Amino acid sequence: MYSIKQDLKNYSKRSDSRVDEALLGNGSFKPSWRYLMDAVADIGSDELHAREQKALRILRDDGANYNNHSKSQVDKNQLWSLDLLPHLIESDDWHTIETGLQERAELFNHIFSDLYGPRELITRGIIPPQLVFGHKGFLRENDGVRLPGEHQIIVHATDMLRRENGDMCVLTDRAQAPSGFGYALENRRVMSRVLPSLFRDSHTHRLAGFFQLLRKKLINLAPDVSLPRIVVLTPGMFNETYFEHAFLANYLGFSLVEGKDLIVSEGLVWLRSVEGLSKVDVIVRRVDDVYCDPVELKPDSQLGVPGLLQVAREGNVAIVNPFGTGVVENPALLAYLPKISEYFLGHAPKLGSVSTWWCGDRDSYHSVMEDFDQFVVKPINRGVDEHSVVVSELSDENRVELIKKINAEPQNYVAQEKIIPTQVPALINKKLVKRSVVLRSFAIANEGASYQIMPGGMSRVNLNEQDSMVASRFGTISKDTWVLSSELERQYTSSLLTDSNVGYTQGALLSSGVIENLFWMGRYSERAEHNLRFLRTTFILLNDIDEISDRSKATLLKAITKSTYTYPGFLDDKKLLGNPEKELIKVISDQHKSGTISHSLRSLVTCSNQLKGSLPQDSFRVINDIDDQFDLLRQTLDNGVLSAPEEMLDPVVSSLLALSGIRHENMPRDYGWNFLELGRRIERVLQTITLLRSLLFVKLSDYEETSILESISLSTESFNSYQRHYGATLKLESMLEVIFTDSSCPRSLAFQIDRILEAILRLPGVKENAVEMGLGHVKEAQKLITSSSMLKLSLADQNVGVRKDLEQCCSQLHSLMSETSKFLSKKYFYSDKKVQQLEQKS
Amino acid sequence: MNYKITHSTRYKYSSAANHTINIAKMMPPSTERQRCHVNHLEISPSPKTISKRVDYFGNKLSYFTIEEPHTVLEIVAKSEVTVFPKQPVFDPISCAQVRQKIMNPVDKDTLLACEYTLASPFIRFNDTLTDQLIKFAKPLFDDDQLFLSAVDALNSKIFNEFKFDSNFSSISTPLQEIFEQRRGVCQDFSHISIACLRALGFPVKYVSGYIETLPPPGKEKLFGADASHAWFSVFVPEQGWFDFDPTNNKAAGEQHIVTAWGRDYSDVSPLKGMVLGGGKNSQLNISVDVSRYEL
Repeated sequence: MYSIKQDLKNYSKRSDSRVDEALLGNGSFKPSWRYLMDAVADIGSDELHAREQKALRILRDDGANYNNHSKSQVDKNQLWSLDLLPHLIESDDWHTIETGLQERAELFNHIFSDLYGPRELITRGIIPPQLVFGHKGFLRENDGVRLPGEHQIIVHATDMLRRENGDMCVLTDRAQAPSGFGYALENRRVMSRVLPSLFRDSHTHRLAGFFQLLRKKLINLAPDVSLPRIVVLTPGMFNETYFEHAFLANYLGFSLVEGKDLIVSEGLVWLRSVEGLSKVDVIVRRVDDVYCDPVELKPDSQLGVPGLLQVAREGNVAIVNPFGTGVVENPALLAYLPKISEYFLGHAPKLGSVSTWWCGDRDSYHSVMEDFDQFVVKPINRGVDEHSVVVSELSDENRVELIKKINAEPQNYVAQEKIIPTQVPALINKKLVKRSVVLRSFAIANEGASYQIMPGGMSRVNLNEQDSMVASRFGTISKDTWVLSSELERQYTSSLLTDSNVGYTQGALLSSGVIENLFWMGRYSERAEHNLRFLRTTFILLNDIDEISDRSKATLLKAITKSTYTYPGFLDDKKLLGNPEKELIKVISDQHKSGTISHSLRSLVTCSNQLKGSLPQDSFRVINDIDDQFDLLRQTLDNGVLSAPEEMLDPVVSSLLALSGIRHENMPRDYGWNFLELGRRIERVLQTITLLRSLLFVKLSDYEETSILESISLSTESFNSYQRHYGATLKLESMLEVIFTDSSCPRSLAFQIDRILEAILRLPGVKENAVEMGLGHVKEAQKLITSSSMLKLSLADQNVGVRKDLEQCCSQLHSLMSETSKFLSKKYFYSDKKVQQLEQKS
Repeated sequence: MNYKITHSTRYKYSSAANHTINIAKMMPPSTERQRCHVNHLEISPSPKTISKRVDYFGNKLSYFTIEEPHTVLEIVAKSEVTVFPKQPVFDPISCAQVRQKIMNPVDKDTLLACEYTLASPFIRFNDTLTDQLIKFAKPLFDDDQLFLSAVDALNSKIFNEFKFDSNFSSISTPLQEIFEQRRGVCQDFSHISIACLRALGFPVKYVSGYIETLPPPGKEKLFGADASHAWFSVFVPEQGWFDFDPTNNKAAGEQHIVTAWGRDYSDVSPLKGMVLGGGKNSQLNISVDVSRYEL
């Protein structure tokens, strides 16, 4: 039986030449770590495992993903990984680190201001000109652009590790659009819920103050307005840290937007929303600068806002971090940092960096080549395929290749000393192990003072023992970082968004992108639910003890193809009708075919992933349930098990209903709700009509039609309403009466139309009698429903045996609803006008 | 010499453009070589926003937006410029000396000029191209050769070995193809010269501007028959920048009017921008007129 206590005893005994941060020289735990490890041991292995599971659930419900693209997992989001053992840093130790980080952020701010200003670092010969001019992060278009105030780099991040002597050493500086402080906050939230008493008793410094300061700084950066509007600009849900963008926007109370949500007009930046255009004052940028403005920067970028740089240049929008910050991420600067620090601050930096040689300097190049195997080589520009490599670990072939690359462009590489990082205890796969640790710290520019450092940060350890570097492409696990305080600190009791010391902003607006996603989320969830019901009904009827006729069976199966739009399906192949199982499984689980249940659910999940902050928190738990249930269902179906298949669909239907319940009970009735409602109702009309058309167009014998009517009644859940009015015997005319006109039945067409009308009337700019506002189509549909004779619709043409009137009525309704949907997308979603380049040759 | 320059650009869109953003670099600066007396832009329809500034390279530019539907965009830049006859004097300095000063830059101008020894958006190197360029140009730049004589020789070599062909290249034709096919227009000739000099480690800029063309003897000059022109400018430590025109096999002189400098064409294009809408087929008409006048 595995025991954490046993592991703990062995931990300190393990002979290892590496320095362990948790241990004293004699191999026993340091007091702070002793306390932590004892507490963890007291929790016990089983309970600890249970808490890990709880942590996973919280992370999943929060949608905390990190989509690491270097692993080719395109389909599923990867969950953020968190080790329950925190990384402890003692108070005194932290004080030294903090002072060093503050100074470093100031130093990098000086570098940035100089390079986009007087460039004295170059003209006074402190750094070689090619080091700046040859770096891709140096944006000449940004020359002279400044944010108000002394601080230009608002968020500065560093990756650090500890040398064997205990000194912290910076490996990398990040200022382009630093990520990780949102994940650090999420880590803290999970830890404080999963290990509440341990966290409480540890006297760990809180993070809330850091975020208050960030919010305050952003508010102060806004060009002269009392209530600024602040947005977080994201490249979109496929970005690896999309979770963090959404999480921060939500936590700080800002709108999450993509480039297409913003436009530049009259020299200002505007957010497009249902309510029209609203001026944007501050943009928290999570899109790399060169992608932000196709007019002046990367012309083919789809992620930016044409004209944005000019607005920033004129000081009419503050961009955080500003454009051009990528230049300070150049690792070659580290080779000159002591000289730079001497120039700006008059002394060497307090916090050391990894020893670095820039290969663009001839002398450095030669000394690197002399002793090549002892270095880590790193390209100066960040790129998808550009990584640090440990030369001694390279194959001969790769080593030759690397030398060739360096010789071709020596100025594009640095060599760095190989540092063996210290280790910390980690719980990986239920085992207590030693792992190398890297700490990412964060500095925020503080109004009228120096930088403020997040007390703690995001620690990461390598997943696999043998990896010499802690790098996400090899797999890492994050840790919450606990900076232990020597005394109790004051609690931040007031909410972040209502603290008058911090200041106020405009509320988050629903962008056009969010509205569109809500609409489609409504449509996909209804589509999935409707088709699941119909499939369930079909399974029941196919396996009924009273066998149904072949013609009824064929009608049902063909209707499945038509309802799901998975052509050719049952329409093309007569053989399939005799042996429908395989095709039915495909209709449920084929992910790649549009129209299948799988596809609708996947689309539903995709839409909802882009709606963090716009949907009630509970929805995400239910959506995760749907995802899980469906994975399970698909696995079962892959094995071809189809006994009582209808029962396997039930849990998914229930979850979809739960989602709808949450929408009903927990969502504010704002514009967003209206679009979700519209999507749902419009889809339901379309689905119901398609079902009726495909099942009833050809008239079968009365006997055969019994099962058809039964399937309609079951799939549309109209049986109760029917029974109330007409008793238990199913008759088509009465059934149509219920489905078309019974406005008390929540699945009738009349009911949907009423809701659609209400929802459209609540949209901004819509007046009761404005026909052109899309109301016209809906009203026409309403008239068509009330004026049609159900008797007439139920009858078939004597000669050809088809229900022409029903077909005509349904076809009209269908096109009226499609028009309504098109109208909404044209008016409220994005216009599809393309931006083109204007260029000429001299 | 005094010139009146009219540079007209006209876009006709196949359907209405709703919003355009443009950056025009059509304003000759005043320098040691020339003085710009008058410069203004006439833009139609009239811009919603317009702002003038000087860019990173020291070029004057106008940034303007049009935010109403329009099917024609017309920009007319009118300038009056005096180009001085006096040419900069060159102190004899050898290729070896130039190389030495560039490799170990000390003074501010040389340090900043180092930017122009590097690859740039239109001038990218690969092993093959670099070898070809060095093979082509290096023999002219022997250590004891006078530097500007060597540059002049390179200028002539390109003029002699490359064919002027206005139908061969487009803006996206790779440098290597131009070099191998030995044909192109002034822009290509300048890029090739720049690539050669940078491959050898010398700082060199791209210059855009206008050149006065003279009508055939006995004929009257037609209005609008001129064109924008391009050449290059090479740096000599402690002496400054010297302009050469490989398309015309001479040093830039009294007939060359500078509008902008940069690392290559991408930094100086006379007009660039974006248009929202406007349809697929827009027609572009450009006319340039450079005429002498008496002050």
